[in-house]
Amino acid sequence: MNIRQQCKEGILTKNPVLVQLLGMCSSLAITTSLFNGLGMGLSVTIILICSNVMISALRKVIPSNIRIAAYIVIIAGFVTMVDLLLQAFLPDLSENLGVFIPLIVVNCIILGRAEAFASKNGVLASAFDGLFMGIGYTLAITAMSIVRELLGSGTFGGGILNGGEGIRIIPEGYPAMLLIMPVGGFLMLGCLIAAFQFAMKKMKAKEEAK
Amino acid sequence: MKTKNTPLFIARLALTLFVICAVVAILLALVNQVTAPRIETINAEKATKALTAVLSDADQATKLDDFQDDTGMVRAVYASPSGYAIEVTPTGFGGTIDMMVGVSKDGKVLGVSIISHSETPNLGAVAASSNSKGQAFREQFIGLSGALAVSKDGGSVDAITSATITSRAVTSGVNAALECAGKLG
Repeated sequence: MNIRQQCKEGILTKNPVLVQLLGMCSSLAITTSLFNGLGMGLSVTIILICSNVMISALRKVIPSNIRIAAYIVIIAGFVTMVDLLLQAFLPDLSENLGVFIPLIVVNCIILGRAEAFASKNGVLASAFDGLFMGIGYTLAITAMSIVRELLGSGTFGGGILNGGEGIRIIPEGYPAMLLIMPVGGFLMLGCLIAAFQFAMKKMKAKEEAK
Repeated sequence: MKTKNTPLFIARLALTLFVICAVVAILLALVNQVTAPRIETINAEKATKALTAVLSDADQATKLDDFQDDTGMVRAVYASPSGYAIEVTPTGFGGTIDMMVGVSKDGKVLGVSIISHSETPNLGAVAASSNSKGQAFREQFIGLSGALAVSKDGGSVDAITSATITSRAVTSGVNAALECAGKLG
């Protein structure tokens, strides 16, 4: 397995959100502003890299009977650390993401990669796997955040730009509030997956034509 | 790895898990050591900010331990010469809203400040926002007294557009604070 292939898998062919449909809970719940999407993506990426490295390093020490318990302890440890660090150094982000940071513990992406990749591969490859899967997750939820924020509240960059208010693109009163609500998350995710699959099919057809 | 149910193997399982837990616990303790004082300062700052927002003489405010709470929403009561600041926790759309309500000695609202919440961005979250809509929503409570209700329920409080549940929650929090202050006299 080389880095280029890992990169392609993490971001495109095995994208955790758009192809594997892992980590749905956070993808639907927090993707209402650019700040939230980026913050959540970054937190998950960091935790994914750390837990992948740790689990890969310990893969020969942990007996397979208790591996799930051991993984959960390691993942929960990293998540709690990130949670505490965010509360102390980025209180705004911590407040916005709220309960979804502690919930990264049960985010299927992390345990899924631990079980499917890190427990079978070397430390370096696992670190890259964490990095690329994390980037794939971040890109997918950031894309969702941007579209939902633009159509749902009519702004861009809420939470970071323009003193946290975001830059207003659609005048107040016109945006479809529905998209900010949970139901909008489902609609948006469905559309995004459909568009992604369409693009992937086109790409594949092109490759085969060559 | 072969599964052997010998006592030695079981002991090894327990020991491995124990060592992992112990190492993680020690690391967490170290991180906590660094972050705990900072988190405490941030939370104290937030409470002080909310206190100054609702009481003009917040620097003279002292915490009261003895108060009567029939609503189950009152978390803390501060008293100062001009009135009371009461921290209440009504339940909104996305969970608990932690807010501070200032009440004058004659039972009128002096101010409302939201400390933390998990309402929907751009809808319920407007209640805590620093923009003009959020400020207008919070300022309309100033000077009111008695039992309040949003206009949809026949009261005088203008709810935030598409966020009636949040508006009701904030209103119920103000009511709880007024009731608590009324009993303090």
